[in-house]
This record gives sequence, C-alpha cells and structure tokens, in this order.
Amino acid sequence: MDKNMILFFGKKLVVFAVSMFVLSLTVFYVARFAPGDPLVSYYGDRVEKMSQEEREKAEERLGLREPVHIQYVKWLENAVHGDFGISYKYKRNVLEVIQGRLFNTLVLGGVGFILIFGLALLLGILCVWFEERLVDRIICQIGVVTSCIPEFWFSLVLILIFSVWLKVFPSSGAYSMGRSQDVGDRIFHLILPMTIVVTSHLWYYAYMIRNKLLEEVRADYVLLAKAKGLGKAEILLGHCLRGIMPSYLSLMAVSVSHILGGTYMVEMVFSYPGIGTLSYESARYKDYNLLMVLCIFSGAIVILCSIIAQAINERIDPGMGSREDGR
Amino acid sequence: MKHLLEIENLSVSFDTSQGKLHAVRNVSFTLEEGQVLAIIGESGCGKSVLCRSIMKLLPPSARIHSGKILVKGQDIAGCGEQEMKRLRGRLFSMVFQDPMTALNPVMPIGKQIGEAVRIHNPKMDRTAVRERVLELMELVGIPCPDKKYKLYPCHFSGGMRQRSVLAIALASDPDLLFADEPTTALDVTIQAQILDLIRDLQQKLHMAMILVSHDLGVVARAADQVAVMYAGKIVEIGTAEEIFYDPRHPYTWGLMMAHPSFAKEGEELSAIPGMPPSLLNLPAGDAFACRNPYALAIDYKEEPPMFRITDTHYAATWLLDERAPEVRSPIGGHRYG
Repeated sequence: MDKNMILFFGKKLVVFAVSMFVLSLTVFYVARFAPGDPLVSYYGDRVEKMSQEEREKAEERLGLREPVHIQYVKWLENAVHGDFGISYKYKRNVLEVIQGRLFNTLVLGGVGFILIFGLALLLGILCVWFEERLVDRIICQIGVVTSCIPEFWFSLVLILIFSVWLKVFPSSGAYSMGRSQDVGDRIFHLILPMTIVVTSHLWYYAYMIRNKLLEEVRADYVLLAKAKGLGKAEILLGHCLRGIMPSYLSLMAVSVSHILGGTYMVEMVFSYPGIGTLSYESARYKDYNLLMVLCIFSGAIVILCSIIAQAINERIDPGMGSREDGR
Repeated sequence: MKHLLEIENLSVSFDTSQGKLHAVRNVSFTLEEGQVLAIIGESGCGKSVLCRSIMKLLPPSARIHSGKILVKGQDIAGCGEQEMKRLRGRLFSMVFQDPMTALNPVMPIGKQIGEAVRIHNPKMDRTAVRERVLELMELVGIPCPDKKYKLYPCHFSGGMRQRSVLAIALASDPDLLFADEPTTALDVTIQAQILDLIRDLQQKLHMAMILVSHDLGVVARAADQVAVMYAGKIVEIGTAEEIFYDPRHPYTWGLMMAHPSFAKEGEELSAIPGMPPSLLNLPAGDAFACRNPYALAIDYKEEPPMFRITDTHYAATWLLDERAPEVRSPIGGHRYG
C-alpha cells in the first residue's frame, strides 16, 4: 500500500460517508412526510379504537411527536452506536428482523447477478465470434424479445405454467415448511424467481457487451495483433476482452442497483421472504426504523459497488488512473 | 532462382453498397531477399491495400479476384486463415502508419512484444521470452528496456510507440517487412530517426522490405526499387536510380515536380491538377488521362500496357509507344522518340 492508494481509499471513504448521510437524511424526511400512520404497524387494528389522548401517548413513546430534525439527530446518534431501533411491526430489533431475510435475498440477487454477467459475457462473445451470421442473429432476436417482456407479467405466466398447470415448481416461498436447511429444496424454490431475474436483465447486458466488443474488434490494434500471427480466439479473448473489461466492470457496478431492484420486484411476485418484500412492507406500513435500515443497506451496497468498480477500473485501464508517473 | 516475393496480376476489390471498388488492379512485381521496394502514390491509390492483401489483413468485404502471390515460389493467394496465421510474423510482418492506435492501450508494452515472440516459439519459457523482449526493445532503441517493460502505450511518445511496433514486427525474424507509411503520423523531428532505424535494421537483419510512402524524400533515402501507383495500378516501376533520374511516366513527373526539392527558387511549386478518379467506376482508357497534360487521344480509349524501357524499368504510358509524338520530360534531360 503506497501513499497514493491510501489517499485514493481515503477519498472514496469520504465520498461514501457523505453519500450515506445524504441518503439517510432524504429517506428519513420522505418517509416522515409521506401520508400514512406508523401507529398502525405497531398497534394494528387497535389504533382505530384509541382515543386522541392514547394516540398522543403512543406517539410520544415511539418518539414521533418531536420535530423531524430532532428525530433525525436522535436516530443518527443511536445509529452511529449501532442501535437502529426496533421494527414497529415485528417489535424486535430491526437488525434481527433483517438477518433472517438477508440470506435469502443475497442468494437470489447474488447468484442471479453472477449468472447474468457470466451468461451475458458468454453471449456477447458468441455474438461477436459469429458476427452477423445465423448464431448472432438468432441470439439477438431472442434477446430482444425476452428483454421486452415485463418481469411481473412473465413471473405470473411462469407461475401459471409451471406451478398451476404442470405443478413442477412451487409458486412461492424460499423453502417448504420445516425444511429451511434443505439445500435441494431451496434450490428448487429458487428456480422460477431466478429464471425471471436472469432473463429480464440478461439481454440488456449481453447486448452492451456485444456492442462494446464489436467496437473493440474493429480497433486498429487488432490489425497489429493479427499481423503478429495471433489467431481469432487469442485476439478476441486476450486483447479485445481486456479492452472492454473496464466498461464491463463499471457496467456490473452500475447494474447492481438495477438487479437489486429487479430482485425486490421478483421477491414480491413470488412472496419470497427476502429484503425486497420486507422493504415493500416497511414502506407501506410506515415501519420507519426498518425502512431506514433497508434503504441504507441497499444504498450502501450500490455505492460500495461503484467505488469498487472504479478502483478496479483504474487498475486495469492505465489511461484512466492517476498513474501518469508511470510506475 | 526463386524470388522472395513475386506478385503476378494481383487484383483486389471491395464490395461496397455502391458497387465494386477496384482497389488494386493487375499489379505485378518481384522482390528479392534483402531488397527494399518503395511504393509511392497519392492517398487512396491502393498502396496499403496492396500490402494488406499480401498479408491477408483485409476486412471480409475485400476479395482477391485474380493473380498469384508467390512467396519463395509458393502461391499463398488461396491460403486460409490457419495457414496465414502461421506465416504472419515469421515470414512477413508489418509496421503500421499510426502507432497511437496500433498498440493495445490496455496491455503493457512488454507483454505485447512478448506475445509476438511466443506465438512462433510456443515452447519458450517465461524468462527466455522476457530476455528476448528486452533484447528486441534494445534493438529498436528503447532506452532502459527493463524499466519500460511494464509500461502501457499511454506512457510512450509517438516515436517510442513506433519503435515498439517495430519490435513486435521483428519479433520472429521475418523475411519481409511491410512498412506502411511508418513515419507519416510522427513528429517531423522523429520521422528521420525512425526511418534511419528501420533502414538500419533492415540491412542488419537482411530483411526485404516494402516501404509504402507518399514522401519522395523518404523513398529516395531507402529504396532499391520504386513502384509508382496510381488508381490501383503500378504505372511505373524501376530501380531507384531509374525512377529518380530517368522517370518516364507523366504521373511520376508530376509527383516529382510537386516535391519542394525540384522547385526552382522564386517559382511556384507545381501540383498535379484535379483529383484521383473514384475507384468505384473508373473511366475508360488510362485513369490518369484527364489529369495528364501529355495525354494522347488513345489515352481516353485504351489503357496503356507496361512498356519495357530496360529489364528493370517499365512504365505504362502511351508516350512510350513508337507511334507517339516526341515529348521532352519536364525534369530529366531525356528525350523520347
């Protein structure tokens, strides 16, 4: 680690901290000012029978009667110490609530992410290898069609076909009752949601990779590589792929938010017990503390990924970094 | 005796949306080992295409119509990509016009040269490859090669990049080097250095070279043989001496008179009027006729054949026909007739 690296990561850390602060502030205010009653999520139906006095007391207890900025300062103070409060709905520490769900989302989103980018790269290379020939054309046609299908509709169609008619795959959940440790059962439950996550995003990225690679294949250096005596595979995989890596990685980083969002959506349709369904519920039922943590968690992932991608970019592409001194 | 390279009636065309573009038409020449052939002509006359068609580096829309490309007696015109891959680098290699874009920007220079070393010696181990790369970098005059080994092209100046490209081209000791306007994209101050370097290495390694240029000064310094190309055809070919001291084709005259060293003090530099014809639909007769102040009526009807002047000197102009009127060359002291 030389001085440059420390400076580099120091800068990124500041950027990260500032973005997190702005994010938390925005979400905090937006949630507070959005219509809805947080008491409902805590007390349930009982709220309707409460007198005005009881309501005020309840709000007092949850710390909701103070001005919003004071609430925020208090929240921030506790958050810095690792206390994110309790979930109104589950009446437990929010971190505990999330813990149980986090793994499910990470599996769906993470494996989906890896599959999307692995397959996208593969498809991109395949298309460029067979540029403007039958294989390329077929992949492009299928890709355009699949990327145009809305994911919620496609999910319902798959559920209809595979769960209702064929009864092959379960339509919801992450595992069968009482079999949460059964890996096979979990995989079985993952197949349909995973299919949606992958198909809905795959072509968009494969197409970008294809186009980037096609640009790269036409670059002048390919001619020199060819003149050296390198073959098509060596040029495509050894040279051109290297050339698109920076854009590929930044694409991956930028896409984290898209794919995470897509995952949340798919979780909803498949009632998959993950962060996505939890976020939706917490936003809908004004479960403020839970919502804050989920937003900050999602935001942290997105921002971190872009920072990581930038760091990798500067390592790979010498022109982009600050290594002008030539070491 | 087998020539190193013998081109016979080579024609190359491109399929474009507007029809067939005849980039190289009926070109023939021979090149011996260790000799330098310079190809000169205006931009777009097919010089680069000619070189690239010999190495088969043309885009898929290009097609070699007819003709033979004999390398050491063996015809490679019909060779597939696999065979060409084996020949490239070892038999012939190329230095490109623009070193700024010819190198892969995201790969260290040492690695790019190393690739060229390893491709024809796959069994070489890492240290041996590295040794060879450093040796090559030294050879082309890159100072402190072990320090530059890991640098990327963006850390190099234009001249250094062209030296690196040259190192890549020389990696497998080719018999023939194509230098496609190797100095055109460089700083004027560097041009002479690079040209001298290429010339030195060509002699030291006893390579043959085809030097493409539109700079007569460059050609005069380096070439044994000179071919003048116009609209995809070789219009005059001969030894450097013959071309420079006894040019016969009006186009060659025009080119030379347009060079500052031929201009007389206080007089305007002459230029060839007009533009080269489109290679998409060539006019009937001689393609140069409408720009040629010495054009004869037959020039507009029929393409002139190659007239023999000496065993090494040929030119395609009707002026050399015995029925042609006597014309005095505007630069040389020679008189036709």
